[in-house]
Amino acid sequence: MTEVFQSLPIYIALMAGLLNLVRRQWSLNLIALVVQFICLFPILWAALPLQLALIQPFTGLMVTLILYLTLLNVGEVEPINLKPRPTSGEVFRALAGIFLIATLGTFVPQIKTAIFPSIPLNHLFLSLGLVLIGILQLGTIREPLYLAIGMLTFLSGFELLYIALEFSFLLAALFVAVNLLLAIVGSFFIIKNVESEIE
Amino acid sequence: MSNTVIIWVVLPLALGLALILLQKVPRLSAVLASLIPLVLAILALIFSNGLTLELLGRRFILAESLTVFGRTIEITADQLRIIALLYTLCFFWNLLGRLFKVSQWFDSLSLVITSLWVSVHFINPFLYAAVIIELIALISVPLLSPRGTPAKAGVIRFLSMQTIAMPLILLSGWMVAGIETSPSAQDLILRGALLVLTGFILWAGVFPLHSWLPMLTEESHPWTISFLLTIMQISIALFFLKFLNQYAWLRNIKDLDQVIKWVGALCVLSAGVIAIFQQNLSRVLGYLYLAESGYMILSIASLQQGGLELFTLSLLPRAFAFWSLGLALSTLRQGMDADQFDFSALSGLVWRYPRISVLLLASMLNIIGLPLFALFPLKRIIWGMLAGEGLLLQLFGSLGLLGMIILFLRLLGVIISPSESAMQAEQENPILIVPVLLTMLTMVLACIFPQIFSAPVRELLVFFQNLLP
Repeated sequence: MTEVFQSLPIYIALMAGLLNLVRRQWSLNLIALVVQFICLFPILWAALPLQLALIQPFTGLMVTLILYLTLLNVGEVEPINLKPRPTSGEVFRALAGIFLIATLGTFVPQIKTAIFPSIPLNHLFLSLGLVLIGILQLGTIREPLYLAIGMLTFLSGFELLYIALEFSFLLAALFVAVNLLLAIVGSFFIIKNVESEIE
Repeated sequence: MSNTVIIWVVLPLALGLALILLQKVPRLSAVLASLIPLVLAILALIFSNGLTLELLGRRFILAESLTVFGRTIEITADQLRIIALLYTLCFFWNLLGRLFKVSQWFDSLSLVITSLWVSVHFINPFLYAAVIIELIALISVPLLSPRGTPAKAGVIRFLSMQTIAMPLILLSGWMVAGIETSPSAQDLILRGALLVLTGFILWAGVFPLHSWLPMLTEESHPWTISFLLTIMQISIALFFLKFLNQYAWLRNIKDLDQVIKWVGALCVLSAGVIAIFQQNLSRVLGYLYLAESGYMILSIASLQQGGLELFTLSLLPRAFAFWSLGLALSTLRQGMDADQFDFSALSGLVWRYPRISVLLLASMLNIIGLPLFALFPLKRIIWGMLAGEGLLLQLFGSLGLLGMIILFLRLLGVIISPSESAMQAEQENPILIVPVLLTMLTMVLACIFPQIFSAPVRELLVFFQNLLP
């Protein structure tokens, strides 16, 4: 039972990542992004002191807030519609994402043994899962918001992985700067797209 | 203030950010954006012989390092020449930046980006520089993506590639930690080398992951993109040399020089062959960068045959070549009031813009490396080195060069072809003859007297002790 509770945030975070990969509803995507960042906390807390474990989820919340405020300002926030018919693209991305995660789940013990013996299995599974979902997102979209979400997902997976290998205050500060700049760049792209549509 | 890191990293970073506030006073902003890097470059040259300076009876002593979050950034006297080079580049691009319709952020961000590139070379542990390079890519976005247009594929692909490269470099350092004490770990070495090489290929847009280069040059202003790519190309090459200098396991890999040589030759070949078929001059700029990356890689691959000196001596002529090409393209863009340079729109150009057309053609010849131009003496040495290699490498190099010559002849044909537009009156300012003549004179003089460009950088990389033959 304890094991289930320990694994729960991992599966929720991966589901949130998959949701962002599949669905194209901005409000829903931002909620999923928040959930994804919050679910990193228990994993981080197992590896770091509380204050340090809070850095990444807190940065994630700020990043999401920046993106949300941008969307709000350009009037692109729409009510969530949970029952639209899935498009062929969404089905493809969902299948590709599930396939990747399933494959990763199969091989993660071997990856742990061969490359990352010091990292707990759950930690490794979540970090590599987010990296893979992020790369898939980057490869399948061109819209600015999803580019930002894809890069944030990819980076959050990598940060999680690297924290288990080596923690440095300077590196943590640099990663925070990268995440915040990424959100600003995402907002910049969103505003540019809306401006050019108006023109 | 008496610290090298504060003077050459923190201060320009702060001043660059402060220049954002001066956007409404563009002339002042442009003057400051030119003056600051010039002063920093001169100061770097003054202190490059020692961090102590006696002036008017006072003694100035600079500390070498600064601790940030428990890690150090350290800049010693002999490393200041690299800083002088980077700030000189920033100065020359900022000097004329205001003449063209570049992004309003150019003055400030060019300074910020240059100071970040400086920090890339001196942060400890040096692998953390990978994250700073990601920061630079993100900060470059407002310069790369002009206002009024949606985000295009090139800049998105550029960001994606830079983001994917960063973890590869960081992981490589962790993966091979302690490898020096266990030299038998061959698998680990190969894994680490693969990560490092893939990371650098993604960063520098090297064949076959170069697709963002021509896309980006097509989408962005030529002045901006020539600055960003020139400083990036030089800095990433220097960073790669730092890897080789630092990691014995990497530079001692058997046949690594052959692998690097093949990568370089493939860059030269692919750039030349693909460039022949281009219909847009802006995209050609991207392929010229790819070809030059190839030549840089070829000189790095020949470290045992004096490649480091060749690499060092080629830095200034190459930067000058891209500066002059950027100048020609930007002036043309300003004159034609067009975002794109399709070959069809360039028909009869020499009749409308004679001076700029001549500068454009001369800049192309210079970058290709034909005789009488600045890059010729260095390219000749690289071609000579290739001639001593296998037949296939020779063929790749020759075909790449041939492709570039064909591209030049195509461009020449288009530019001088008489068309309806050829009947139009000359449309450029006669005063342009002065900068055009000066630029061309420098190109030719640098070929006849290569020491013009080689003397200031001769001792640029002396601290890469492990790479000297």
